[in-house]
Amino acid sequence: MLTAVKNQLRVCGLSVRYNIMREMLNRVTFLTNIGFMILNNATFIVQWIILFHLKEDIGGYHMSDVMLLWGLAASSYGLSRILFARAFALPGLIINGKLDAYLVQPKNVLLSVITSATNTSAIGDLIYGYLIVCLFCFSVSRLLLFTLFTITGTVIVTAFALLMGSLTFWFVRADAFGDNMINCLISFSTYPDGIFQGTARFLLYNIIPVGMAIYQPIHIMIEFDVRSLLTVLGYTILLSAIAILVFYRGLRRYSSSNLMEVRQ
Amino acid sequence: MKKYAVIYRSVLMENLQYAVNIAFGFISYFIFIFVFICLWNYMYASPGELIAGYTKEQMIWYVMITEGMWFGTRSATVTRQAATDIRNGNIAYLMNKPYHYTLYVLTKYTAEWGIRLPMYAALSISMGLTMVGRLPGFRPISLLATVPVILLGITINAVFKLSISLISFWIEDSNPFQWLYDKMLLVIGTIFPVEIFPAALQPFFKLTPIYTVCYGPAKLVVDFSWEKFLEIVAAQMIYLAIGCGLMFFLYGKGVKKLHVNGG
Amino acid sequence: MNVIETENLSKTFRVKQKEKGIAGSMRAIFHPQIKEIPAVNRVSFSVEEGEALAFIGPNGAGKSTTIKMLTGILYPDGGRAEVLGMDPSRKRKPLACKIGTVFGQKEQLWTHLTPYDNFRFFGAIYDLSDKETESRIRELADIFDLNSFVNTPVRSLSLGQRIRCEIVASLIHRPRILFLDEPTIGLDPVVKENIRSLIRQMNKELHTTIFLTSHDIGDIEKLCKRIIIVNNGQIVLDNSMSHLKYHYLNRKILEVKQQEETAPPTAEGITVLKQKGSHIKLEVDTGVLRINDALRLINAEHVEDITISNIPLESIITEIYKSADAGI
Repeated sequence: MLTAVKNQLRVCGLSVRYNIMREMLNRVTFLTNIGFMILNNATFIVQWIILFHLKEDIGGYHMSDVMLLWGLAASSYGLSRILFARAFALPGLIINGKLDAYLVQPKNVLLSVITSATNTSAIGDLIYGYLIVCLFCFSVSRLLLFTLFTITGTVIVTAFALLMGSLTFWFVRADAFGDNMINCLISFSTYPDGIFQGTARFLLYNIIPVGMAIYQPIHIMIEFDVRSLLTVLGYTILLSAIAILVFYRGLRRYSSSNLMEVRQ
Repeated sequence: MKKYAVIYRSVLMENLQYAVNIAFGFISYFIFIFVFICLWNYMYASPGELIAGYTKEQMIWYVMITEGMWFGTRSATVTRQAATDIRNGNIAYLMNKPYHYTLYVLTKYTAEWGIRLPMYAALSISMGLTMVGRLPGFRPISLLATVPVILLGITINAVFKLSISLISFWIEDSNPFQWLYDKMLLVIGTIFPVEIFPAALQPFFKLTPIYTVCYGPAKLVVDFSWEKFLEIVAAQMIYLAIGCGLMFFLYGKGVKKLHVNGG
Repeated sequence: MNVIETENLSKTFRVKQKEKGIAGSMRAIFHPQIKEIPAVNRVSFSVEEGEALAFIGPNGAGKSTTIKMLTGILYPDGGRAEVLGMDPSRKRKPLACKIGTVFGQKEQLWTHLTPYDNFRFFGAIYDLSDKETESRIRELADIFDLNSFVNTPVRSLSLGQRIRCEIVASLIHRPRILFLDEPTIGLDPVVKENIRSLIRQMNKELHTTIFLTSHDIGDIEKLCKRIIIVNNGQIVLDNSMSHLKYHYLNRKILEVKQQEETAPPTAEGITVLKQKGSHIKLEVDTGVLRINDALRLINAEHVEDITISNIPLESIITEIYKSADAGI
């Protein structure tokens, strides 16, 4: 059992390493992609300078809190797309029958699939996240917490992408829907949660998992609270369990498939 | 001119099939606008307050119009598709046909948003009326003047984006430049009107294409005046000329490079 | 010993039908017309260890579907399959360790890495230790002559070398059966030959059982001792290559070029296929008329050139497809 896990991790590690090596073949493109993504994220600082100029407190956040929010959103989303980029491209793989190649390997299908590509610009996102923490609101404990929440955030974002992507096992047209839901996740995760009230707030903590991926961690980093921390961890485990379950359900459908229009 | 009409019609037909995908795209737009409604509701403390000369309704309608223009015209045709064609040498086949490649791409693009944009316009209007309320002082008749300005703004934007894609003749990946252009547009002209920035910066912004592609059209819708109209149309003409000049120049240079070096 | 056994293996696909035009697309959203297509229909056969089997049939005959069921990618909805004593749909992972797969144009290699690094990666996938992987790579590189390019990135290899590596990568874990789905599709003749010799070698030297699907008659003739022909999801022929040739190759093509125009010989067992001036093309049924008797009917004095050849396997197979179609 333990060696199986070790071997699996070894394969995933190699996969991610080789992916990044491939992207690094062209140094210039690799570096511009990363650099421009950082710049790209940084342009939003302008937006917040303007907004905080109009009002000092937006949804209970100050400038440094919003920066932290942005940082965490960037690093979670970034790490998710560095390690698990294919979770976001699942619909295409399903529709085109590209999962076959992973089904004939004696390894965990899910992990093999989602680690089989990477996204260079996402490295820029991750770096940006850490730059923000180090430049705007540094402390050792915060850095540790930030790292922890980057990991939980990565897991939540990936699980959500996986859930949305797995819908394609049942509905071919779900690909566009899933993409839009992921866009929603990103849109919400860069605004203070205090501005959302009522139903919206409910949705953000239940349907679109921004609450537990981003907002709650920010609150914990501002004011530490063990109970909230445990909630976030519990939620992370729960959501990934659901996502994995749904994926394998779908995979069973893929294997007894009615999605054969293209695949034959 | 007739061949461009035929290209237009066939792409339009093809895209009708993607209507479902467009409908899903509404979700992202809806959420984006929803976030801004929440944000501005929070920022405006009292109903009659003005921020940078805009009422809350005007501020939200402004972002709905600019965002609607981008969501309604989003397509990889002038960006990734053109860049990929150039990078992988596919352009050699597209170039030798009896039309001008850049005009072909622009026509194709126009046909694509020919369906999407009206759908987004309908969505924006119904969202605006139900969630935000009517624009104060809005006269429907002004749309006769503003709609052409909007369409012209979209076209100028397409010309600039295609020009950026044409850089692919020289560099591996023009995408980062697209992002940067998009982000400039987003932060400076899309989510806020230019007036919200410090007065010292405003004249500078007026010199950028942003002024003609998103600020101008949206400003005219939320707060129409004839002087503004004339000023913006004049600026658009200048930018259209500059943009096309740049596009033809880059394309000509690029093709020459292709002929010398091969694909 | 049988390594593959199937009994009434079946798979039916439900395919949405779409009418033409926009109106048709709209109707399809609300009332999808579903058609059931039996892709594989009660297929039973068995394969012995060390055999080289060609599984052939026209497009959509059910070849790939069968391979997918045998490798655990697809679940059958009827019948039974057993590969190396395991049910592929239940024991996908343990089975995966013992079989290799090459799916035509789908590339599994990382092009920016060398074949060596690629093999190491596949070694890791199949849980080989570094030492095992190393010795296996050395062994395979020797057998299949990869040493000259084993350290060159895959993207700089020729297509032929690349596909050799592709196949060798699926041998890293010593599979007992290798499934090849259209391995030579879209390749030029030289590369095809190259791949064929590799597969032959693998079968002979490593005793790997070969299960091959192909359109390409050349693949089948050169690689396989046994052939299964499927059409419309059913087996129409399952026999040895020599049997096939014997029974279907009892007709010879006789081409004669003469100095002057003469009437073609007439006899039972001779069919005139073509006559153009002094050039005659005959088909001789050797079951009825011996070939030397047929030759005697031709006036040897006038002969300028003569060729005797077999009916190409391709037309035999086409004929089998057709007769199977007619039989349904």
